[in-house]
Amino acid sequence: MSFLKVEDLYLYYRTRMGTLQAVDGVSFSIKKAESLALIGESGCGKSSLAKCLMRLLPRNVELFKGHIYLDGSDLMELSDEEFRKTIRWQRISMVPQAALNSLNPVIKVGEQVAEPLLIHKSIDKKEALERVRELFSLVGIPQAFMDRYPFELSGGMRQRVIIAMALIMNPEIVILDEPTSALDVLIQASIMNMLKRIKRESNLTFILITHDVSISSELADKVAVMYGGQIVELNDAESFYKSPLHPYSQKLMASVPSLREDKQPEYIPGAPVSLINPPKGCRFADRCPFRTEKCSEEPPLVSLKDGNYVRCWLYAR
Amino acid sequence: MLRYAALRGICLFAVVVVAVYITILIANMGGYVDQIIKSEVRFRIGVLVNQNPAYKNLPPSKKAELIEGLYQQEIKRLGLDAPFIFRSHQYLVRALTLDLGRSLYLTSDTGSRLVRNIILERLPATVLLFTSINLILFFISITLGLYASRKYGSKLDKLIVALSPLSSIPGWFYGIFLILIFAATLHILPYGGLVDVPPPKDPFHYALSVLKHMILPVLSWLVAYTFIQTYIRRTFFLMFSQEDYVEMAEAKGLPPRIIERRYILKPTLPPIITDLSLTLISSWMGAVITERVFNWPGLGTLLYMAAIMLDSPVIIGSVVIYAYLLAITVFVLDIVYAIVDPRVRLGVT
Repeated sequence: MSFLKVEDLYLYYRTRMGTLQAVDGVSFSIKKAESLALIGESGCGKSSLAKCLMRLLPRNVELFKGHIYLDGSDLMELSDEEFRKTIRWQRISMVPQAALNSLNPVIKVGEQVAEPLLIHKSIDKKEALERVRELFSLVGIPQAFMDRYPFELSGGMRQRVIIAMALIMNPEIVILDEPTSALDVLIQASIMNMLKRIKRESNLTFILITHDVSISSELADKVAVMYGGQIVELNDAESFYKSPLHPYSQKLMASVPSLREDKQPEYIPGAPVSLINPPKGCRFADRCPFRTEKCSEEPPLVSLKDGNYVRCWLYAR
Repeated sequence: MLRYAALRGICLFAVVVVAVYITILIANMGGYVDQIIKSEVRFRIGVLVNQNPAYKNLPPSKKAELIEGLYQQEIKRLGLDAPFIFRSHQYLVRALTLDLGRSLYLTSDTGSRLVRNIILERLPATVLLFTSINLILFFISITLGLYASRKYGSKLDKLIVALSPLSSIPGWFYGIFLILIFAATLHILPYGGLVDVPPPKDPFHYALSVLKHMILPVLSWLVAYTFIQTYIRRTFFLMFSQEDYVEMAEAKGLPPRIIERRYILKPTLPPIITDLSLTLISSWMGAVITERVFNWPGLGTLLYMAAIMLDSPVIIGSVVIYAYLLAITVFVLDIVYAIVDPRVRLGVT
């Protein structure tokens, strides 16, 4: 039984140069307490996909359609007001990409973390702050920091505050959009360890958005590789890290630098495909080492087990 | 906090001293005005002595001696015998203690020649009118600006942008038309002035009459400046509503009213407060033309009269009072900043 199921999701933006196809027919599903890593280059549409799930759309949306089933009910049928009142933060929360600037500079962090509780649950402030205190010790922040302002905290601490904030309503899904990209490696490691611990101790579903394959391997049960607004490969983490199928996934894995082996990290020649008027057929074709003539036609979705798939002519029979 | 306030107070007082001293230097043309007065005195005494029949038979050298003696006496009486640099400091001390001297021609309604009395008599009328105008403008533009920034691109938003060029014509110009319509044609509002003539006896009717006289001047400014002010605020809020923490607040599912209050308005309060208070202070110098158009007996009218009658003590006096008002406002602002913004309070920029 899939817990979160996304079907044929489209998000197009209107820009001066034309329609930008940020999310172009994305489908995937995950089970409860399963974590999904969304991997891809900058501008491939992974943050836009996160925005679709939270329905945090910018003003220049041209097309937003598809189905997002959470526990069987379609979120796309809810009005904006219903969505805000019942879904945001209570069932789906997020740690945004620009986490360091995501705290209001003039409100104490403790109050900011408690705010959703006060507003959605209307419990009294003392109780809410008690809950914040518990969460702060869970994410490793000294309790004295509750009364501090964001500018008095280091980057890593602010990131922990945001994570505590994402957990305050006991949501079912937490979207982590590049949760560690602005931090140095030591703090990255400690935050990843903390996230792993939280995942082990609760049955949260994480959706981890990252460009960093090694970070995704820490947390993911399932991996979706995005390229040009589409998911080109959806696979179980175990088989993905052992043998990625799509040529783009293979190239991504090969680009990870390795400490012990004497192997040069590879890079992918060419530039990412433009999402304004993308070429017909396979979007990776231009940079693909296995390119054939067939690639100018729309590649098929080749099904693998458990609803996984790869979008490539190489595996079509 | 106390140390911070004391330090700011001292700095601001120094600024006032310098500003007033510069005004004194400029108004006296760096001492050149003394030369003008001295030669005027010498001329006057010369004419007096030469025209006096009693001295008609005096030899020229004696006459010159006499003129010189009378001249020195008169200079001493006027206090012009001390060097200008020395006297400019006396002027400064007197200005700073609000001993603003006597006017040359103007008098207050009670007949006083003291500049301080003249100014303080006019100040309340100006403060009343322009504080009301600016407060109304402020609250309309903040509310409407927030609304328009939320409904960015809506019909109302476009209307505000389209009407903002109304401010290219000053408020008093609309005032003339408003007088033509509401006073001259419809006869429902007074042409101008502060109260009815004769003024009503009991305070309630007096206040009512003042209110009635304020309608047109207030309206004329609202027509001119509401839309541009709203436009400016709307753009300002639009900019700040793209901050990451505002998107975060949306993701948290907070209702729009709370987002506007806590996430857009609160962090942007310091510049808004500055804007309001400085606008208020500068409006207290009065708006010369608006006050003339509506015959409003405020500082603007006074300055206009002083300027055409060359009554310099009145002009210098109003500059001194203005410098004080400005310094006091900035001082209060610094304290208010520290209260509303923890970044200022805790000494982090």
